[in-house]
Amino acid sequence: MPQSVDKILDHAPLFREPEYKEMLARKAEFENMPPVEQVTQIADWTKSWDYREKNFARESLSVNPAKACQPLGAVFVASGFERTMSFVHGSQGCVAYYRSHLSRHFKEPSSAVSSSMTEDAAVFGGLNNMVDGLANTYKLYSPKMIAVSTTCMAEVIGDDLNAFIATAKEKESVPADFDVPFAHTPAFVGSHVTGYDNMLKGILEHFWKGKTATPNGSLNIIPGFDGFAVGNNRELKRVLDLMGVDYTILSDVSDQFDTPSDGEFRMYDGGTPIEATKNAVNASATLSLQEYCTPKTLDYAASFGQKTKSLHYPIGVGGTDDLLGSISELTGKPVPEALELERGRLVDAMADSQAWLHGKTYAIYGDPDFVYGMARFVLETGGEPKHCLATNGSKAWEAQMQELFDSSPFGAGCKAWGGRDLWHMRSLLATEEVDLLIGNSYGKYLERDTKTPLIRLMFPIFDRHHHHRFPVWGYQGGLRVLVTILDKIFDCLDQDTIEPGVTDYSFDLTR
Amino acid sequence: MAESLNAKITALFDEPGCNTNVAKGEKARKKGCSKPLQPGAAAGGCAFDGAKIALQPITDVVHLVHGPLACEGNGWDNRHAASSGPTLYRIGATTDITETDIIMGNGEKRLYRAMREVVERYAPPAIFVYSTCVTALIGDDINAVCRHATEKFGIPCIPVNAPGFVGSKNLGNKLAGEALLDHVIGTMEPEVTTPTDINILGDYNLSGELWQVKPLLEQLGIRLNACITGDARYREVATAHRARVNMMVCSTALINVARKMEERWGIPYFEGSFYGISDTSEALRTLARLLVAQGADAGLIVRAENLIEAEEKRAWSRLDAYRSRLAGKRVLLYTGGVKSWSIVSALQEMGMVIVSTSVRKSTDNDKQKIKDLMGGDAHMVNSIPPREMYAQLRRGDADILLSGGRTQFVALKARTPWLDINQERHHAFAGYDGMVTLVRQLDASLSNPVWKDVRRLAPWEQEDGETGFDDEGVPALVPIG
Repeated sequence: MPQSVDKILDHAPLFREPEYKEMLARKAEFENMPPVEQVTQIADWTKSWDYREKNFARESLSVNPAKACQPLGAVFVASGFERTMSFVHGSQGCVAYYRSHLSRHFKEPSSAVSSSMTEDAAVFGGLNNMVDGLANTYKLYSPKMIAVSTTCMAEVIGDDLNAFIATAKEKESVPADFDVPFAHTPAFVGSHVTGYDNMLKGILEHFWKGKTATPNGSLNIIPGFDGFAVGNNRELKRVLDLMGVDYTILSDVSDQFDTPSDGEFRMYDGGTPIEATKNAVNASATLSLQEYCTPKTLDYAASFGQKTKSLHYPIGVGGTDDLLGSISELTGKPVPEALELERGRLVDAMADSQAWLHGKTYAIYGDPDFVYGMARFVLETGGEPKHCLATNGSKAWEAQMQELFDSSPFGAGCKAWGGRDLWHMRSLLATEEVDLLIGNSYGKYLERDTKTPLIRLMFPIFDRHHHHRFPVWGYQGGLRVLVTILDKIFDCLDQDTIEPGVTDYSFDLTR
Repeated sequence: MAESLNAKITALFDEPGCNTNVAKGEKARKKGCSKPLQPGAAAGGCAFDGAKIALQPITDVVHLVHGPLACEGNGWDNRHAASSGPTLYRIGATTDITETDIIMGNGEKRLYRAMREVVERYAPPAIFVYSTCVTALIGDDINAVCRHATEKFGIPCIPVNAPGFVGSKNLGNKLAGEALLDHVIGTMEPEVTTPTDINILGDYNLSGELWQVKPLLEQLGIRLNACITGDARYREVATAHRARVNMMVCSTALINVARKMEERWGIPYFEGSFYGISDTSEALRTLARLLVAQGADAGLIVRAENLIEAEEKRAWSRLDAYRSRLAGKRVLLYTGGVKSWSIVSALQEMGMVIVSTSVRKSTDNDKQKIKDLMGGDAHMVNSIPPREMYAQLRRGDADILLSGGRTQFVALKARTPWLDINQERHHAFAGYDGMVTLVRQLDASLSNPVWKDVRRLAPWEQEDGETGFDDEGVPALVPIG
């Protein structure tokens, strides 16, 4: 017996014991598994150009899409407001997914509730679920605000959130003046970045509707859906404080997803205060750090006479230059010397390592703004972002990416793939190899299949811990991105030269 | 300093193989050739370091440093001297002597015990024992310990007497050479010899450069008996005295070895280089000629010419693609030794413009070659003070700096691209293939977009016309030719 009480093996070594190997081999035989050679042959064929063409001819089937659904973005953005509970109207399984998704990435509890609709709710409408649900949420979790979004189920049957919430208030589920902003967030439209936009607009609309703005010189900043929000938002605040800017971050999840272990459970922590959210209507300008997370929200802010501007996930020198330049332009505050020094240090580090980064080729996938910002930084380091893919990227995004490629000689031969999935990416990696893959944890299967080393810089990161606690934005964040890429390059190089007596002539101490 | 060591150093300063040395009066000769160290000024490595780097590439032996931890610790495995087999030379072996050892005079005992452990653990074909400042100061007699250990253990234990305080890194190279002459070369007989056996002196197989040259030699049927010391085995070095020709590639490092091998065993030597296309060809030609003069088959000369023709053609055709991208770019070469002239001709062939080359550690021969290549010595500098180099680069006198790692940062701060051509480099630049690699790296360095960021002001900054650097009295770097 391979298993003994004295030394219990876990699954990794256990199934490598001869007894199990034999059992699995016989099982394969019993199940009429094709011979190994045939499996290999087919597997190899799926990495050919022939297969790639068939793969890209796919019209209906999506395999491993690199995007999530609207309500995830809605839950994420709502978590960034003071004592706010997300209430997703629809079936409860969906909500469990959002919670686990956020929990597994941030390694923090993630609270959200559902109206737990069942079959009778689907037939008769979900009003009762809304009425009971809001009442229970209010009593059980004592929030200051309940942000209502929807799953597909509620959208398909056409529940009217506005009317339902009004009715629930009439039935005293929550006090009449209690804040219950809402947004319709059907998963079959757009992706989590769309849900972020819709929910944020819903919250602002709730507080701003009917107000007249009196510009006070302050700046609203919207970070957008961002897996590195904990580190990034704190870095953003540090930079804004250094510049002496009067600002409101609209949806700041940095404390919500980074609560301390000190004996106290915080269901809610930090977030944008309700008062500040109300006053944000009087800001002179709103700056979005991710264009594709905020089109409707920015239009809405502009309707109050605010100046608006959007960026693409500010990574690297140029990305951060744009961020600081925009803040400066919108607020009239100069960039302080301290930040110029940080800029110089980032440039210095990039120059120190340029020989190792020059001409490296990359595949990058993720949300449209991330892919743009990341590709831009790669170009700055002399790398070539060959395959840039965003499942939730549009034709307009592809055009923006092409413009970026055209701006640098290192962009020649690079291509943006909007609306494609990770199975497309697999074909790209198999037929036109690159040195490095930048994406999220799901990329590990591509890494295994195509031997392309994976760098995790995109939400969600489930299989590595705490990366989100460090910024990737700003010049400081740029350093971290740079080091992450370099570490991977050097680790791979060490791994390639590590075999004693065979390749260790290049296993060098100094790189 | 021990009397014997003193005598050795004095003898080293009298080097008939060195023109400069011969030209000096007797008094001046006693002072030695390296410039006196200047307290308070930034300095290079010590004699110990020089000895260690010259011998460390012998791969199958243990290099045991007798001294406090850091002499070995700071330099442990810090050069890419590659091995095709044994890795024993890369372990950091030291006696790690402590305060008590120094006070109680336990150094010699500790050394002996360390050597015994080395033999028990690794059973190497030889142990090289290095003295350091501290153990030399307290008077540890490593010669005696090594003599005793050789008898006891039955393997050669070679004392390398080059404590740091005796002088410069270059002197250390030579003392290492003396150790080889005194204790290693000629102590074993080779199993086979051929009429085309050669040694290469002063190549350390950095980044595997020797391996770019070896195939060329093999194609000509020239057998590399020993490379001293790149990728060497102890036995190869010990039998080096049976080679027919010595080729010296780093001229100032081991000239004493070349000359004394000629004296003792009648092996002619010449100085050549495998950096650059024409130099590689010239080296192959000379090797063939000298080997034939020593009795090798006369057909070797024709075979060499054929190989040179084919390889040069192949190299130039591969370089063609870069010519248009590199032509007109101005290079500041800041290195030393052979590299100061050996790369010049190849870069000039690419249409690049050399604005200056430095001749630190270069011999008179090296210098003459630079004069021939560049038409005059106006642009030959011994060293450029960092402040001046900064100003020159910042001013835009050159498009790229080729230098060792230490000058890298001057270039980066002066917003100028830089390429490493000294020991910490990661690419092999020797031979025909190496030149193609060098040019490819040069092109990559020059075209890296980071330089745009380095030179560009932040978008919100105004160019205020202030240069921010002081270049008063700093001579301009002028294109040559």
